[in-house]
Formats: sequence, structure tokens, C-alpha cells
Amino acid sequence: MNSANGRHAALVIGAGIAGIQAALDIADAGFKVYLVEKSPSIGGRMSQLDKTFPTLDCSSCILTPKMADVPRNPNIELLTCTQVKNVEGHAGDFHVTLERAPRYVDEKNCTGCGLCTDACPVITTNIFNAGLDTHKAIYRVFPQAVPAAFVIEKKTSPCKVTCPAHIPVQGYVALIAEGKFREAYQRVLDAGVPFVGTLGRVCYHPCEAECKRADWDEAISICALKRFAYDEGALHTLPEPFDPTQGKPAPVHYAERVAVIGAGPAGLTTAYNLTLRGYKVTVFDALPAPGGMLAAGIPEYRLPRNVLDDEINSITALGVELKMNTPIGRDGGPSLEDLQKEYQAVFMAIGAHGSSRLGVPNEDIQGVFQAVPFLRHLNMGHEAKIGKRVAVIGGGNSAIDAARCALRLGSEVQLVYRRSRVEMPAAAWEVASAEEEGVKLTFLSAPVRVIEKDGRVAGIECVRMKLGEPDSSERRRPVPVEGSEYILEVDTVIAAIGQTIESAGLGVETKWDRVIVDPLTLETSVKGVFAGGDAVIGPASVVEAIGAGIQAAESIHRYLRGLDMREGRTKDYPKAKDIEVVPTSPVKRAPRERVQELPAAERVSGFREVELGLTKEQAIAEAQRCLNCAVCSECNQCVTACTRGAIIHDDKPRRVDVDVDAILVATGFDVFDPHRKPELGYGKYPQVITGLEFERLASASGPTAGKIIVNGQQPKKITFIQCVGSRDRTLNLPNCSRVCCMAVAKQAHLAHDRLPGAEITVFYMDVRAFGKGFEEFYDRVRKEGILYRRGNPSEVLRRGDKLIIRAEDTLLGEQIELESDLVVLAAGLTPRADASDLTRILNLQQGADGYFQEAHPKLRTVESNIPGMFLAGCCQGPKDIPDTVAHAKAAASAAMILLRKNSVPEIQVIEPTPEDFGVPEGA
Amino acid sequence: MLQIESRTFAKERGLFACVQCGKCTGGCPMAMKTKLNPRMIIYRVLIAGNGFNLEGRDELWDCTTCSTCSSRCPKQVNPMEAIIAMRGAIVEKGKVHPNVKTALESTFRNGNPLKLPRDDRGLWAKDLNLKAYAETPAEYLFYAGCTPSYDPRGQKVARALVQLLQSAGVDFGILGNDENCCASEVRRLGEAGLFEAMVEENTEMFKELNVQKMLTVSPHCFNAFKNDYHTVEPGEKFDAQVQHYTQVLAGLLKEDRLKFNGSFAKKVTYHDPCYLGKHNGIFDEPREVLNHIPGVELIEMDRSREKSLCCEGGGGRMWLEGTNPTTRLAQLRVKEALDTGAEVLATACPFCLLTLDEAVKHLNAEEKIRVLDIAEVAAQAL
Repeated sequence: MNSANGRHAALVIGAGIAGIQAALDIADAGFKVYLVEKSPSIGGRMSQLDKTFPTLDCSSCILTPKMADVPRNPNIELLTCTQVKNVEGHAGDFHVTLERAPRYVDEKNCTGCGLCTDACPVITTNIFNAGLDTHKAIYRVFPQAVPAAFVIEKKTSPCKVTCPAHIPVQGYVALIAEGKFREAYQRVLDAGVPFVGTLGRVCYHPCEAECKRADWDEAISICALKRFAYDEGALHTLPEPFDPTQGKPAPVHYAERVAVIGAGPAGLTTAYNLTLRGYKVTVFDALPAPGGMLAAGIPEYRLPRNVLDDEINSITALGVELKMNTPIGRDGGPSLEDLQKEYQAVFMAIGAHGSSRLGVPNEDIQGVFQAVPFLRHLNMGHEAKIGKRVAVIGGGNSAIDAARCALRLGSEVQLVYRRSRVEMPAAAWEVASAEEEGVKLTFLSAPVRVIEKDGRVAGIECVRMKLGEPDSSERRRPVPVEGSEYILEVDTVIAAIGQTIESAGLGVETKWDRVIVDPLTLETSVKGVFAGGDAVIGPASVVEAIGAGIQAAESIHRYLRGLDMREGRTKDYPKAKDIEVVPTSPVKRAPRERVQELPAAERVSGFREVELGLTKEQAIAEAQRCLNCAVCSECNQCVTACTRGAIIHDDKPRRVDVDVDAILVATGFDVFDPHRKPELGYGKYPQVITGLEFERLASASGPTAGKIIVNGQQPKKITFIQCVGSRDRTLNLPNCSRVCCMAVAKQAHLAHDRLPGAEITVFYMDVRAFGKGFEEFYDRVRKEGILYRRGNPSEVLRRGDKLIIRAEDTLLGEQIELESDLVVLAAGLTPRADASDLTRILNLQQGADGYFQEAHPKLRTVESNIPGMFLAGCCQGPKDIPDTVAHAKAAASAAMILLRKNSVPEIQVIEPTPEDFGVPEGA
Repeated sequence: MLQIESRTFAKERGLFACVQCGKCTGGCPMAMKTKLNPRMIIYRVLIAGNGFNLEGRDELWDCTTCSTCSSRCPKQVNPMEAIIAMRGAIVEKGKVHPNVKTALESTFRNGNPLKLPRDDRGLWAKDLNLKAYAETPAEYLFYAGCTPSYDPRGQKVARALVQLLQSAGVDFGILGNDENCCASEVRRLGEAGLFEAMVEENTEMFKELNVQKMLTVSPHCFNAFKNDYHTVEPGEKFDAQVQHYTQVLAGLLKEDRLKFNGSFAKKVTYHDPCYLGKHNGIFDEPREVLNHIPGVELIEMDRSREKSLCCEGGGGRMWLEGTNPTTRLAQLRVKEALDTGAEVLATACPFCLLTLDEAVKHLNAEEKIRVLDIAEVAAQAL
């Protein structure tokens, strides 16, 4: 029955006017209140209204002081961005589990200065303003929000979850769109990726395949933009080359030393990240130069050496030590055990530098090469002697690289692949470039033997293949066609049918030749030894290697610091296809910017880079096509702007447990979505709006500062339509919404007030003016000249630039057509769409109308079906503000009876104020 | 006197639920130009004590049964069905327009309302060598309907659809001369007795032939089989899967079975037939088919989908032309289509096709716009 600290407490769910009033009452009576609100601010629907009927008080003016009382009340603990997840126990003793969604901004440190919003490059729909305007991804719901702290709207973007290195793509794209190129480059580096210019050239960019923009026209050219971020941000046009390390080594914080085996993308990425974290790292590699496959495998026309060298230099400049020509565990190099004596952790990233054999006769004679050593030889600056007619065997990226290199050495090149084009593992754009340059492709052919003459290659005998049943790789297995052998006259054969991992002698457990690791932590069978990249997953891609490097650095840091290896880490990312994107504004079709390429004829004469990158104008235009799927792009501009360090981008959901005696439900209502009445044209015509949208237009703090402007014009003929989405059995919304008649009267009055001379018509079925002062107000509004016509309009049409309302004036018994510049739909109140979630968690009941069911329709309207749980306000049924406040006060009172019975001896009394005795403030 | 027991009539049909809001009349396409006022008729029935006189209520025959009134009524009153029932009372007394009489008699005698011989029904497919459903089993029964069977313009649609189905490898058969009118219009003209008899006759035949899947050319036949047949008591229920052909085509496109090798490079606007759209909520499939056709640029009229303007061909009005003197709705509709700049006005209903075609001729707009059925558009792109 008691809460943890011995205080008696109530939980109030929902902080609209009902929740606020109930919380204040219970707290003022001396009890503890947990006030839980799903959104980032309290205030609810009332904060969205302009004036209240029938007295025409300013809604904000009467609500804001109450909102301000909430944080000032020592008995109220306010939890925003919070939802109830579970409730156990019974009246007087409820155990409640809450979940606080991340706000991404520290409520206590944020001063609400707004510097973050100014710096933020992303805009999104402003829900508070009923979608009529936009705000930044970091925003405050409205100026009087409580708490005043900002909040970040952050979802998931398909590009980031798809990227094996989880680079915040949207972040650098948003920065490029703003012309902040250096910041864009820095953003990729900050994600732990030291190879920006390299990835921007050689990545196979799986992100682009998942880009949601393709649902409208074409994917964003993400890879080219990353390259642009490097070219423009780091290399070219800036006054001096940008050096993110400022040429200084990173400070060393820790005594432990780390050894990395392999100076490829995985190894160097780990070294980069660990060095920045304060570790001393040494990288060993068997080759004479660093870069691994980036240097040895990828030809210069795809990755110019100055780019790679620049990026590697940036890493070594941090203090990473390189030991080249030092194989580990073979060829006389030190063993793993030797390393472990000096280094407290080891990361193995040896790549896949071995080659699969063709398995045909004569494959070792002169003139037969393996692609990997051939490319390595060439890439390390040596001369390669090949013949005039070259056959390349294989269909992967190495085969294409070898073929295009052979072409550049002046040979005629024929590529022989045993399956068909669609099965080729090489990237389609690489294959297309190769063909453009003159590589001939032969599909469904496989070598049977190499033909020898005088100890040299004289040709290759091939056999035609056909595709059979799919094999384990789900590609159709090629089968030889008997008797279809033929001879290809060539003098050189380059085999590129697969890469192998030379893992023998490493001293860790392997399967086939791959190192076995824990997929989440990359730990091997030996404690303190981690592995990643091609050595673990087989020959793969640069970006996967970089992803493994980042993962390994995190693991090694945790290992060396004795931290939990698994906490907060996951491989379970949301699937890109499950992510739904609603663009802020209609998407205008615009195809992606095309990257300029060197003409094919110029390419083959040497090893000049083929792709020329995007121009500045192209890059900005391309980046602006991004739909900002995750809203917040994680560009980190807010982090830079915030002087209080209040931004927490990796904020996580938190569980909060509270024990309470009573629970008050005050979750309010939803507004009917008029899209469900398509005949009224909502969503189709911008001049058709809801009453709530009208309130925001009329509000001085709204998107138009109180000017009623629709489609850029002040309307002269305004029509209100009542009972939209209420009293409607076709929609299963049979109940009357109760507030719309008077809300329409009030809005009609506001329209009359703000737009003198406007013709205002209200279509009604019945006018229900039952409350105190309501009928008088209805009289007043009619006398102002607002015309009430009886009839329920059937449809809204467009004729030219005018809207036409078709209705029957039932008093005339005639069908009429009424021209209108603005149509305001009195969209009814509906139960919350997620009411059933709460029903399930709290065991509440919903009535046939969907609202929470009270215990008795006359005598117990604030009690729910569950003892100790109470209902306040519109969650129980539609109410106007005075009724809501009265209902909330009654619910609070009912809850206090329970609290009081439970806690006779120990009430914490708050000193009465003069107001409690009816003396107005300041009197 | 043509009196009905209005209190019983109103109670049985739930007319007392009416709140006189006028949503029905406000949207009624005929209310603007005729005396038809669905709300007022209901009101008059309600206040008539127990005897409502139908004498002189000629406006009841103006209803096109487009269902705008009944689909929008917030109290789920069904003015359209009330009107059909009132027609029924008039038909029972035999006091009907001679055209209606002729159409009903012909349906009874010839199995079609067009006064054409039963033995000519299968002629449209004479040279096509289609499977005879009664003799060879097939996946689908291709139910052609009266207009596509007899009317030269309608026949083109049926033949185009045959081409499409064949190219997608659909297994279907036809009934030829054994096919009988679906009786949809018979029911809408108020001849409930004949309708029931024909439902029983047709249901018996379909059961005997073990029809599991049926596709129709006309949305009217589709609606009758899908929504009306099972309301007839007693007798065997007709429960086969019935689809309008646009649904079948959309399915074939989704499964990649129907492929377009050609194109139809024209601006096309689509007119939603009432019995496909408002009656049955089928708005997307016809558009999916059009959007799949290479070259088609689909432009929407302002009044589309739920707001589509009736062509005035339904509810038996195909045979009541000229009973109200003002401009036919089809002419308004063609003007709306012309306003979009479309070169083709596509639809998916034989009645719409004929009324719109005639309206184009009446407006001398043949040079500017052509009326085609979606099946015809699609077949041109095969």
C-alpha cells in the first residue's frame, strides 16, 4: 500500500486540462502525484485552442498558469514522453511500470535558449499546429510548453540501418544540403569511419537499394555524396587542406597496448577508433605498404592512391604505429603468443588474400595468373607482363578489376563466366563500365583445361554450360553441356574465381578457413583476441570491414576496461522495408544527379580515375532530395550549438517503477480524421480544413500569427459544416460529440471578428446549445449576421478555383450549390486510437462508443470498472472544458477518499494560501 | 388509387431512423434537374398516416439507383431501396411506363431486356472458339451479360476482354445461348417477382454446372450476383466467388501473368461506374490496370471515386430515356472529362460506355475525346 518512500501517491495518466487539474488537486491535498504524459509537454488539446466558448476567454491565458503550477508543486513528479507499460496490484497498492521515451535533450540542463533549433538543418511537420506549418527536428512543442526543454524527433532511417557500418547517412546528406561540406566530412569521421573518400568511391552502397526516395522517383546518390563530402570537405577547394587531426597525435589515456594484425580497412578502422579513445595501437601487416585490399586489390582508376594515402596518413598522424613486412604466425614473423606478451588485446583482420585454384590441367604454366596477386603486383607499382589476348575467368568484382586492368595494359580481354549475367556477383555498374571500355563477356562457359604450347599458354578449352536447379547460394547451378567444348585462343589466363583466407598458423579456432567469432562482440576462441573483416565473413566489402573495425574497437575498449561486453549492443536492427516514411511536404519528382565519368576511350589509355564526382551544385541539389526518413539526421549541429552540453543523441528509453494507491486516467480524445469522409474533399482541397486547424489559424501563437489565411488568401465566403464524424452510423461513430455546435458558433464568431464583411454560413442538422450561456451565445452569433442553414452537406466539389458545397436546404426542400473559399469541418471527437492498449494494461472496459466505461452512468461517472482506477475528462466521453474540469475535480476527489483512508497518520499538509479561502491573488 | 401501407412500409425499411438531414438529396444527381427528393419522399411516407398514395409520383422513375444517397446516409437509412420498393408497388399494379413494360416482358421471354432472340446471345463469340462452360470444365465462368452479348459496341468490350484473358493464360468458358439475364435491372425496376424467379433459375443452373469462380463484364451483373442473389429467400444460395473483370485483370498484373508488349500513349481519364465504385467500393483495381498500361497518362476528374457522377444509365433508366427533358448526366460527365484535357474517357461498365458514347456524339466532341472500356484500352496495348 505504501510507496517506496512511505508516501501515499496517485498516478495521473495524461496531462491535458483534466490531468493537470486532477494532479494539482490531489497534490494540494498533500498526496504525492506522478503525472505521466505521452507527449513532450503538458497542456493537451486546450493549449491548441484559440478562444473558449461561450465566454471567449483566451484558452492559453487561462491554461498557462495552471501548467506553470505543475512543476512548482513539490508534490507532483512530472514525467513527460512517458507511457504506462504495465500495472499490477489492486486499489491502494498498484505497482506501475512506466517507460520514458528518450527526449534526447537533458531536461535539467536545457535552458530553452533555442540555439539548437537555429542550427538544425531538418524540418518536419508541426503536429501541434495541426500540420499547418513545420518545425525543426529539435524543437519545443509550443512557446509555453512545460517542461520548457527542447526535444528531438528521432525515428529510424533505412540507410543507416542498412549500412554495415551504421554511418548516419542522413546526417552528412543534410549538412551537404546546407552547404556545410567540412561538417559533412567531419560527421562521417565522427561515426568512426576514417575512410570517407575511399568509401565514397568503392562502396557497394547497399543503403541506396533501401532508400525510400525510390518510392517516388530514384534513390539518393548516397555514395557519390560521401565522396563529395571528402573531396570538397577535406581535399580541394578549401583554403588549406582540412586535417581533422590537426596534425597532432591523439592523447594516450590508458596503459594497455593493442595489436592489430592487418592494415586493411578493418584493422585501420579499429586502430583509428582505439587511438582516439586513448589507446596506443600497433598495426602489423605482411605487405610492404598499408591499406590491405584497398591498396593491393583495388585498381587506381577506381581509387586514386592520393586519396587512400591521405586517409591512411590521417590515421597514422594520430599516433597509430605501422609495422609493415611483418607477417604473424608464418614466414618467420612473430606468433600470436609473442604479441600477447606485449599487447593486452589483439585484433585480427588479415583479409582474404589467398586465391582459389581453377582445378584444371596446366593451370600452373607460364601465362596463367591469379587475379589477387596480379592486381597486387600492379597496384604496388610493378610492371605486369601479360599477353595480347587475355581470358579472365570469373564473374566477381576481382574478375572485373583484373579485366579492366588488363585492358589498360593494352590487351584484348575476354571475360568467361559460368553462369549468366544476372547471377554475376560483381556490381552491375562495374560490369557495365567494363563492357563500355571494351571487355567482351562470355556467359555460360567454363574452362576445362589450359592449352599449352612450348611451356606457355596457347589457349583455353571451355565448355558451354546451362543453368540447372538452384544451389545452396540460391543461384541456379551451372551444368556442362556435353560435347559443347570449344577453344578460346588466348595467350594469358587470369583466374578470378575466388579468394581464400590464409588463416593457418594464426592460433585461433577456424572453420573452413574462416576465424570463428561471437557475432556481437567479435571475440575469438582466445581471450583478449578479436577478429573481423574478410577473415571472419569471407571475401566481402570495404564497408563491412569498416563496420567490423568499429565493432571491434568498442569490444576491445569494453574488454580492457572490464565493462559488460554485450550491454546495449544488438544485431537486431529494424528492417528497412518496415520503415514507413511520411514526407513533410509533397515530393516533387526529381531524378538523381548523374555522376560525370571519363569517356570510355580516354579511360583505357591509363589508370586515371573513371568517376569524376558531383559538382557543388549537383551535390547540394542531390542532398536536398533526401526525405529525412528518421527526421533527426544526427548531423550533430545541435551538439555543437548547445552551450550546456544538453544534447544526448544516444539517449535510451528508460523504465520507471512507481507504487501508487490510485490511478486516474485522463487520456483525452482524438479528433476525427475527415479523410474518412472522402466526399467532403479534406486532404484533396487545401481550402477544406478541420475546426482544430481553424483554431490554430485563429490563434495569435499559431502558424499565421492569428491571420486567417488559406491557400495564400483571406477567404471571403466561409462555410462551416457540423457533425462531421459524429452522429454517423456509417463510420460506427453514433454518438454526438457534444462540443462541436458551440465550437462552430465560436469559430464563426472569430471568423466574423477577424474577417469583416465575410459571408459566413453554418450548415447544421440540429443546434445543441444546452450549457450555461450557450443559447445566449448562439443568439449572439446569429445576430452578428452568421447564417444558419439547415442541411447536412452531401459533397464538396471544385469548379475552377472555387469550392462548391452541394447540399439540400431542408427548409426549402431544394438542392443548393454554395460557393465557398474556405470550408471548416466540425470534425467530431473520437476515442483515442490507442485506447485499447490502455484497456489491456489497466483492465479497463470500453463502452460501445469506444470511450472508457464508467462504473455507473448516473451515480459513479468518475469511477471505472476497476476499484482504485478513476476516469477524468474526455476519455470517458466527449466534454467541453467546464465539464472536463468538473469531472477531473470529481475524479481527484474520489481518488483522495481512497488515499485518505489509506494514510490517516501521515499527510503532508501544504499551507493554505489566501486563494484557498476565496481571496483572489493580489487582493 | 395507388396506395401503400406506409407505416408498415416505413417500419420494415427503417425509415423512422431518418433525421431529415438532407444528405441524400444534397448529393442526388437527379435532384437538381427533376422533382426527385429522397429526403422529402421519406418524410411524406412518414407523415402519411397509414396510406401513402404513389399516384403521380413519376419522379420515382428518375432514380438511377446510383446509391449516392444510401452510401452517405449517416443513419444508415437506404432511400434508394425505399424508392425501388415503391416502384415495386407501382409495378404490381401494372401502372408502368410502356418502355419498362417492354423491357420486363422481353427479359421474361428472351432472357434479355433488349427484345432480341435468345438464340442470338452467343453470336458475339461465334468465331472465337471459346470453351463451352457447360461441356468442358474451366476455372472461370465468363458471364458476358446482355449488353456485351447483343450490343455491337458492348461486343467489342467482351471480345477485348477475351483477348486479355487468353494472353494471360486464364482458363475460362462461356455459356453462349444458355446464358440468361442476371435480372439486376429487373430488380431495380421493381419487378421483385420476376427477379426472384430468375434468381432461382440462374442459381439452379450455376449449381448444376458447379460454378466456383465467375467473372462479369458489367458491374451491374457483378453486383447482382454478389449482393442481390443471396437476399432471395428461399432457395439455394449462390455462393461462388464473383469478380468484376477489372479485379481479375488487376490480380493477373500483380501475379505478372498479364503483360503489355505494346503501349497506349494517351491521356486517359477514368469514370467510376456506380455499381463498381459506390456500390462495391472497387475504386483502385480499374486504376491499377490503367496505370500498368505503358503510355497511359491517367488524369483524374474532380468528381472521381466516391464522388463520381452517375451517367444516368442505371436503375432501368437505359429504357426511360427522354422521360425527363433536361440534359442527360452523361453529357455533364463528358464535359467534365473534356475539361481535364483527356483524349480518352475510360470506363468499365457497358451502360456507362453507351451513355457516355452517345453524349460525346451529342456534344459533337468525337474529334476531342473517345469513350473506351478499360478492356479495350488494355487490349490495344497487348
